[in-house]
Amino acid sequence: MNEQMMKAREIITGYKGRPLRIMEVCGTHTHEIFRLGLRKLVPEGIDIISGPGCPVCVTAVGFIDEAIWLALEKGCMICTFGDLIKVPGTEMSLAGARSKGANVRPVYSPLDAVQLARENPDTQVVFLAVGFETTTPSACLAAKTAKEEGLANFSLLTANKTMPNAYNALVGSADAFIYPGHVNAITGNAACIKLCEEKGVSGVVAGFTASELMTALAVCIKLLEKGEPFFKNCYPRVVKDEGNPAAIRIMNEVMEPCDSEWRGLGVIPMSGMKLRSDYADYDARIKFAMPEIKGKPNPACRCGDVLQGKCKPSDCKVFGKVCTPLHPVGACMVSDEGACSAYYQYAD
Amino acid sequence: MTEQTVTLAHGAGGRQTSELIEKVFKAHFSNPEFTADDAAVLPKIDGRLGFTTDGFIVSPWKFNGGNIGKLSICGTVNDLSCMGAKPKYMTCAFVIEEGFSLAALEEIAAAMEKTAAEVGVKIVAGDTKVAGKGQVDGVFITTTGMGEIIEGADTSGKYAKPGDAVIVTGDVGRHGCTILLARDTYGIDSDVDSDCAPLWGTVEDMLSVTKDIHVIRDATRGGVGTVLYEIAEQSDVGIALDQTAIPVDERVKGVCGLLGLEPLYLACEGRLVIFAPADKAQAIVDKLHEGKYSKNAAIIGRVTEENKGRVILETEIGTQTILPQPKGELLPRIC
Repeated sequence: MNEQMMKAREIITGYKGRPLRIMEVCGTHTHEIFRLGLRKLVPEGIDIISGPGCPVCVTAVGFIDEAIWLALEKGCMICTFGDLIKVPGTEMSLAGARSKGANVRPVYSPLDAVQLARENPDTQVVFLAVGFETTTPSACLAAKTAKEEGLANFSLLTANKTMPNAYNALVGSADAFIYPGHVNAITGNAACIKLCEEKGVSGVVAGFTASELMTALAVCIKLLEKGEPFFKNCYPRVVKDEGNPAAIRIMNEVMEPCDSEWRGLGVIPMSGMKLRSDYADYDARIKFAMPEIKGKPNPACRCGDVLQGKCKPSDCKVFGKVCTPLHPVGACMVSDEGACSAYYQYAD
Repeated sequence: MTEQTVTLAHGAGGRQTSELIEKVFKAHFSNPEFTADDAAVLPKIDGRLGFTTDGFIVSPWKFNGGNIGKLSICGTVNDLSCMGAKPKYMTCAFVIEEGFSLAALEEIAAAMEKTAAEVGVKIVAGDTKVAGKGQVDGVFITTTGMGEIIEGADTSGKYAKPGDAVIVTGDVGRHGCTILLARDTYGIDSDVDSDCAPLWGTVEDMLSVTKDIHVIRDATRGGVGTVLYEIAEQSDVGIALDQTAIPVDERVKGVCGLLGLEPLYLACEGRLVIFAPADKAQAIVDKLHEGKYSKNAAIIGRVTEENKGRVILETEIGTQTILPQPKGELLPRIC
């Protein structure tokens, strides 16, 4: 342990003040916090809760149903990040649809889906565009590439989300947020600074190594003790106030803000991104005249409460019994970054 | 000139089969015991024997740091070595896909010859079958090996005892990482190479320090993490690992970071996990550091009375977490 970590550790373990609730908003942070056993270090007065930062977890049930409709009714090839394949829809997951003949391909980048469209000119290829500001620029780049090439068999089914308005919806869930370093690396810090100045919402931007996470947590505790609202960038090595202008430019060129449904949180105004009208030909909902599809979540699953920090995964009746990583009932059990999956895998 | 390939006639048992055996296999596997008859006749061996068999279906057949031929010798040699058995004789059986390149087959046989010679194990019998196009993928190899157990060596997954030190003979996860990248699914460029190696010399080294070694296991499919869970269960003990002591190649760390993988669960093909009394552990590691394939050997943990059947990680921030159990098959056809 280096000197900085030792100092951070002292601050964290030595805290004796009022009870604090600190929410990590990012799925990668959730995973790292479990991997490091960081929760075991914090004293009783501090509660670290997991927020809605895993893109797979916040994807609404209806979105999976829409993808399955495209696959089974329209015969589209569905390209998606692998984790999404196991997420339950209303009646089945994409894995279930695959066993009924759906063509579902895991890809590692949206541009892989564009390549599949080039190689299969007779097949309609749809990429499932989920994720936050970290992955949205690459989905935009895929749409732009397809448009430039005039690829008529490629489109996006979008459920892209943006963080700032989600923080707004979460105000009150926690005393302070640990902001996701890689999101702020793209967006910059303006939205977080504004939240602090206008609404008194506190938070620190954190990186992903043990040292970076511990330092951010220690800084957060110190500033909470002072009692004033704060914003602090504890990841300046990577996060600049202005963000990544090139990524922001392509996002704004191809997509625009829209209302978006979050699993468990409902519809949050202007918290999503959709393709601009110039790109209507590449919007799967428009291209295939998709009817409105409303998903019905499994009533036994408490993913929604977990995502808002209202309950711990272990408080859910199906957790660890019916719902396990091999047979997930809710989305939070699917991805390694999901809170339920992390609780399950690291259960003592 | 068109490339020469294996045809169904090569597997029919006639003249072309003989030609293939002469040209490819005999040319490389030649030794006094290599049989032209139905079975090899071997001299008497004193003492206890180790005897094992293993199949190899790795895809792609060739990767950075080795090929399926080298792997097929290493796999069986290492299984014997784990029991303290000096590898003496091996047999190999090939199932080759019609249309497989003869030059590739030569390359595979040459790698087998070289690896076997390094260990001093003799290939004494073999079999060749050719399957129709599409019925196998390239070439599958099965090797069987016999070895003489060194006097005084007595290892088993059941023998780990509380207080034992846990040693790995090198950095973990490199073979799995290499195969992952060789399939080119991820678009990641890295020069990471497989750790694939024959480890009889490594075992001889450690046995020269002490015969009092409780467990030797090669960490192949499932990696070091899976082996540790197996031993914890077989010996009914707990295992506590020092996370910062586990050697991981920087390139493997980078790839794992990008793809969200745990290096402890990536396959190795040239790494042993050893359980030995704590007071002998440092001497073993010092000796291993002199060896060709064990320069990065390290003590990574200890066996505990508590937490039976579990593997606990002592993390870099001084907390304890459980090592999550792997979820099913990470990657098919790794070896």
